[in-house]
Amino acid sequence: MSEKAEFQPRIAAFLCNWCSYGAADLAGVSRLQYPPNIHVIRIPCTGRMSPKFILQAFRQGIDGVWVSG
Amino acid sequence: MFARRRFAVLKDLLEYVGIEPGRLHFSWISSAEAAKFQETVLAVTEAVKALGPAKHMIKDIRKVA
Amino acid sequence: MQDIQGEEGDFTVKVVSHPRYVDMDKCIACGACAEKCPKRVASEYNAGLNKRKAAYVQYAQAVPLKYAIDAPNCLYFLKGKCKACQKFCPTGAVNYEQQELTRDIKVGSVIISAGFKPFDPSRYVQYSYANFPNVVTALEFERILAASGPWMGHLVRPSDEAEPKKIAWIQCVGSRDVNACDHPYCSAVCCMYAIKESVIAKEHSKAGLDAAIFFMDMRTFGKDFERYYDHAKEEGVRFIRSRIHSISERANKSLAIEYATEDGQAMVEDFDLVVLSQGLETSPQTIELCQKLGIELNDSSFINTSCFAPVATSRPGVYVCGALAGPKDIPLSVMEASAAACAAAGKLSSARGTLAKEQEVPPQRNVAGDTPRIGVFVCSCGINIAGVVDVQAVAEYARSLPYVAYVENNLFTCSQDTQDKMTAVIEEQNLNRVVVAACTPRTHEPLFQETLVSAGLNRYLFDMANIRNQNSWVHAGEPEAATEKAKDLVRMAVAKAALLQPLSEVQLEVEPSAMVIGGGVAGMNAALELASQGYKTHLVERDSALGGNARLLRVTAQNDQVAPYLADLEARLQAEPNIALHLGTTIKDVEGFVGNFKTTLAGEGGEEVVEHGAAIIATGAAEYKPSEYLYGQNPKVMTHLEMDGALQSGELDPKKVNSLVLIQCVGSREPERPYCSKVCCTHSVETALHFKKDNPDCQVVILYRDIRTFGRRELLYKEARGKGVLFVRFDLDHKPKVEASGQGLTVTVRDHVLGRDLLIEADLVGLASAIVSHRAQDLAQMFKVPLDADGWFLEAHQKLRPVDFATDGVFMAGLAHYPKPLEEAVAQAQAAVARAVTVLSAKKMMLPGTVAWIDQSKCVGCGVCWTVCPYQAITADDKGLALVNEALCKGCGTCVASCRSGAPNLRGFTNQDVMAQIMAM
Repeated sequence: MSEKAEFQPRIAAFLCNWCSYGAADLAGVSRLQYPPNIHVIRIPCTGRMSPKFILQAFRQGIDGVWVSG
Repeated sequence: MFARRRFAVLKDLLEYVGIEPGRLHFSWISSAEAAKFQETVLAVTEAVKALGPAKHMIKDIRKVA
Repeated sequence: MQDIQGEEGDFTVKVVSHPRYVDMDKCIACGACAEKCPKRVASEYNAGLNKRKAAYVQYAQAVPLKYAIDAPNCLYFLKGKCKACQKFCPTGAVNYEQQELTRDIKVGSVIISAGFKPFDPSRYVQYSYANFPNVVTALEFERILAASGPWMGHLVRPSDEAEPKKIAWIQCVGSRDVNACDHPYCSAVCCMYAIKESVIAKEHSKAGLDAAIFFMDMRTFGKDFERYYDHAKEEGVRFIRSRIHSISERANKSLAIEYATEDGQAMVEDFDLVVLSQGLETSPQTIELCQKLGIELNDSSFINTSCFAPVATSRPGVYVCGALAGPKDIPLSVMEASAAACAAAGKLSSARGTLAKEQEVPPQRNVAGDTPRIGVFVCSCGINIAGVVDVQAVAEYARSLPYVAYVENNLFTCSQDTQDKMTAVIEEQNLNRVVVAACTPRTHEPLFQETLVSAGLNRYLFDMANIRNQNSWVHAGEPEAATEKAKDLVRMAVAKAALLQPLSEVQLEVEPSAMVIGGGVAGMNAALELASQGYKTHLVERDSALGGNARLLRVTAQNDQVAPYLADLEARLQAEPNIALHLGTTIKDVEGFVGNFKTTLAGEGGEEVVEHGAAIIATGAAEYKPSEYLYGQNPKVMTHLEMDGALQSGELDPKKVNSLVLIQCVGSREPERPYCSKVCCTHSVETALHFKKDNPDCQVVILYRDIRTFGRRELLYKEARGKGVLFVRFDLDHKPKVEASGQGLTVTVRDHVLGRDLLIEADLVGLASAIVSHRAQDLAQMFKVPLDADGWFLEAHQKLRPVDFATDGVFMAGLAHYPKPLEEAVAQAQAAVARAVTVLSAKKMMLPGTVAWIDQSKCVGCGVCWTVCPYQAITADDKGLALVNEALCKGCGTCVASCRSGAPNLRGFTNQDVMAQIMAM
């Protein structure tokens, strides 16, 4: 197996409580399966997202950041 | 709206310091769109996986020490 | 319930509590009794597909979660021996001596919601439900698909537990049938649930499922139902219009179905599993109870209600909601539940609050400056989490995290007994922060916060780790990764919890008056109900007269005249001192928020600002003006509301019409309007009957796509066929043609059976034209509420909150929500009132503490924050520095992210809180 195939990235997901976080909950209720690489941080609204949060994530070695409203 | 504008600038900045644009994703999903959520997770995970581990900006403890 | 004595306002209800033989105070729901119980009984919860014990809990989420002993099946009660449950119960909760307890309860009103019984299809011998293992009822199939069902949601058939590759659904089993079951009515919900089951079964199927639904008329008349039907067709579900005569069994237990195609060809097809879409009926016990209580039932054994008072029974003070008043789905049942609450509370409003006790809240412990002592509660959620995640390992891991002082794992952290225990643990362990790793904060945060409050902690010293909806449920195939992720999520929550600070909540006075927008049937009813409950109500109508669409409507589905009813409503409105009527008036501006709206009205007399605590939007809808079938070009082509108007004014006389053609789905169920207008089939059938009554020789033809006479409307359809009304079906690809010919009209329609065109000469053509929304963008924006794709107002939740908006203090009723018959508009108006009264009856309300604040020492007064604030909640103070209005702030945090000086921060989601989570990732 190649190194890339084994690589499991860590992704920080900043999800809006009212929209994407709700969709994530509903995906659970519907048992829609997806890989466990994303770690969700709940934010009240995408307006809350500071660039600082994204920079901090990359600074400590998080492989990807996903912001969803 | 403000968020969108802010992130367009940030993406340029990140690219400048060596973070590939494919590591940062934005999307808009309503609370009823579970299937879209699943599709987006898969797409984001695949995109980041393809880039391999992030190497820039990491404070390498061993080097510092 | 055994009996109701007395009268409205002063009932005595006799209630019998059956013994459960388990002391509820002692039972800890450990399950030892069920484990040791030797007697196995068919599980009601799983529709008899598997077994439970005689010592049992009905289902895992039961409230309260306490076991019971099923005496008629218990070996001790049957034979005097066993007592295993008593022997193994660790708390001594089993008590065989418990007795029946009879109590009298004094009440002012009664609501009956005894529900329905699914029809037992054993009576259909041709379907052999009792003999063929792979013929199941729809309810059994629900359990097969359910994650908590006998096969954990794996799609299998009962005979060999193999995955079926072909499933057939047979509709109208116990509905629309007087031969086998004497149920002439339509059960209203089966078409939709069959489609839902077929789509979900396809999703659960590993091999690719072939799903076929055998039906007579597809009745997807509810909000978004037609879209779901279209979606199912795209997913490949086969819809076959054929009434199935019988089912036979093959040697491999598969089932052969004989049916006729639409052009009359005989077919035989094999299926691995057959689902019977059973109808709804009233149970014999409920019928007996209603008879004893003196509550009138109709000839279909549902409680008799009138279209004008849809939740009132024949006995004053006794109300009904749900399927006991006729077959219906969840959204309408929930709507009726609120409506019944409104009706039941209406007459008692003078006594409101007299029996209420103030909740005693222990004084809040001051934890400022204390070192965090975090309690972590890891929930198993039965097997929902523990079936995938190693919850013990997560709990062990949590112990190692900084500031964590206490950890435990619960079967159901949300259960009442665990909550009581949590309260005690917080006090005993002197915890000052709590983390629950369980489901989602969107549903359960408020519950756990209440527990913190009852333990003397500020409710904001709490955080959740979502290890179910966003972990165990979506990573079911990766238990190890899911366990690691659960640890990560707990670590992140603990990191945030350590930083949490107590927040204070803003208290606001509530303006005890309401505004109803729209003066149609829904709006008039809502205003009258609000006024009778003692609230000053402003009824705003943009037209110069009340009544809306109902002014043209002739009769209800029960053939009651609408005009006298409207006149009565209007007279009562005029006489009601609590109502301020604003005719010829529109809404110009809305300021404020729940409890304190300030609305600017614009009318002929100028502008006026009105204060109100809640608002009900009942702005109605319009009749679609067709662009086809010669409408607008030939005076003999009319819409159905125009026909109603002409019939009432006498302009149109059925005696002078020899041939009438009614065309259905004009503008409905088309690509540009992919919804069913719900009322038109019944309306056309009524019109046809009206013509037949006045002029039996008149030829009446109804051209339709599916006849959707749901519920007891089906009886009208049957009557119309009996009276000689002709029904000819067409499909969207072959729509009828209307042409002028001499004095009359010629209607051409393709007959499916003959495969040829029929030509019908008509004196008059009625068009069942669609109901279209007003697409009230401006109003929606002013109240900050959403519209859906078709322009209907969008409720907070289709099933659970059918009259609420996500925005607090704003509710909806009537056609503005979706097309509906008059009785549903009345019920929804009552429901909206019940919901609005929950706001108005509170004298004060608390606003959440998760709002922004400004550190003025950092503020330079640049104004970015008050420009970006979407709620206009930030203003400049007299020094030119930013100031937050906490009542308007919704806690979105846009100001925090936009400020260059870092002056604003958001309570509960501070920069530090979010950073802590990122760093703990």
